[in-house]
Amino acid sequence: MSEKISLRVLDTGLRRAAENMALNRTLLECHQAGDSPHTLRFLRFEPCALVGFHQNVEQELRVDHCRTEGIDIQRRITGGGAIYFDPGQIGWELYLDRRFLGTADMGEIARRICEAAADGIRRLGVDARYRPRNDIEVDGRKISGTGGAFDGNSIMYQGTLLIDFDVERMLRVLRIPAEKLSDKAIASARERVTNLRELLGEPPPLARVQSALAEAFAEAFQVDLVPEDDLNPREQTHFAQALVEIDSEDWVYQRHRPAGGMPLLEAVHRCPGGLMRAGVMLDEARDIIRQVWITGDFFMNPRRMLVDLEASLKETPVAELETNIHRFFDAYRVEMLMLSREDFLQVLRKALDSRDPASTRAGTHAAG
Amino acid sequence: MDCNGCEFHPDLYYDDEYQVWLRREPGDILTIGMTDLSQAIAGKILHVRVRRPGTRRPAGKPVATIESGKWAGPVPNFVDCTIVAVNEAVMATPALLNQDPFGAWIARLEVHEPLDQALARFVTGEAARTGYRARAERDDIHCGRG
Repeated sequence: MSEKISLRVLDTGLRRAAENMALNRTLLECHQAGDSPHTLRFLRFEPCALVGFHQNVEQELRVDHCRTEGIDIQRRITGGGAIYFDPGQIGWELYLDRRFLGTADMGEIARRICEAAADGIRRLGVDARYRPRNDIEVDGRKISGTGGAFDGNSIMYQGTLLIDFDVERMLRVLRIPAEKLSDKAIASARERVTNLRELLGEPPPLARVQSALAEAFAEAFQVDLVPEDDLNPREQTHFAQALVEIDSEDWVYQRHRPAGGMPLLEAVHRCPGGLMRAGVMLDEARDIIRQVWITGDFFMNPRRMLVDLEASLKETPVAELETNIHRFFDAYRVEMLMLSREDFLQVLRKALDSRDPASTRAGTHAAG
Repeated sequence: MDCNGCEFHPDLYYDDEYQVWLRREPGDILTIGMTDLSQAIAGKILHVRVRRPGTRRPAGKPVATIESGKWAGPVPNFVDCTIVAVNEAVMATPALLNQDPFGAWIARLEVHEPLDQALARFVTGEAARTGYRARAERDDIHCGRG
């Protein structure tokens, strides 16, 4: 038998967001420089709101609310959307070589890692599954969001795992119009997210969560786990430098995107199968649909088709909406009663058509 | 189309992992872009950000960052340079990097060393074609147009 590759396991404990982000950069850059081994890190956060690498803070977060509540604001080095983090969640991260999993394809790397993470979560007694592109869910409800960063041939892939989670607190941190914070909207968000405490009756001990994930990664990747207590000396030096840069307003408030509106457009569509409601969050500057929500009293089996459709339409350019909807339904087995894919297309189009004409022109112009 | 459906241009210069291409322009100027291999493994690119013209970037500090799906990372830079121009069309429509990686240049760079000396660190011509094909095969990269 050939000798297995080692995977260092680090637990960096409960930290400020700036320290965790600086550790992301440190471990990724040190891995790329050959100064860090392949690593699995577990991490936790003091309350914080984290924007994705290319997002603008003011566009995504209620900055005043965060300040009043003592919630740190930071920028991740990974892509994706803004999230809220507090000690009720645990983070896991892998630092690997791009070819570690036998493929250079970023989508495939994400899938392999997410499937291993889902296996780890299942070991805690819940039926966790990978949902493309970046979520892990239990019965259609998200329990872990993930994202990655790369630097040369090194990659870092990270995920959250909700052990205990307050959806309302998250919604109040994100910049969502006040009227969307109604009881109904909060209930709807709650239906889409779950956590281990809710599923198991009580939160499992952190050590058990960590060992379940670590063992699942070790099995999936055929590696030996090597627990270590701290960073190596080179990483310590790098961390001190990275923290200076990241624990700063220059890093957190850098503007990556042209400022533009992010309206929430809504529509109702009456079809033979029932009443369908849709919400569309539109990035006007880029003419990209950030996210959609669809609800209604129609019949379908499986019911989770709705959340899968929502997940597949994230970050869809408006011009590609129709193609993406057809691609989704071509590949998805679902039984629908007096309902067709055209109904979903219509309700989303209707929502997009409710755009303010003046902002539509500005958006088109900005998108070149 | 050259290998596994991936486009290749022998007149350009490449880093040894074929992540970026460089084109020599008049003066000490280089144009930088992503290769077909890079766009293929990155997947659909949703965001691109280039440092402002006038910004000096030493070798090792990226001139641009991209995001695809939920992956974010740098477009690597191997020369000490100052950014002199940014392709606004790519900034507005990042998917151009997937659709036409050799046409969708990212930035123009003024290089702070003799251009011949800088370009000597890159591969070009038939040697680059061989290396490019080898990487596509080794990493099983198949190029498609997003």
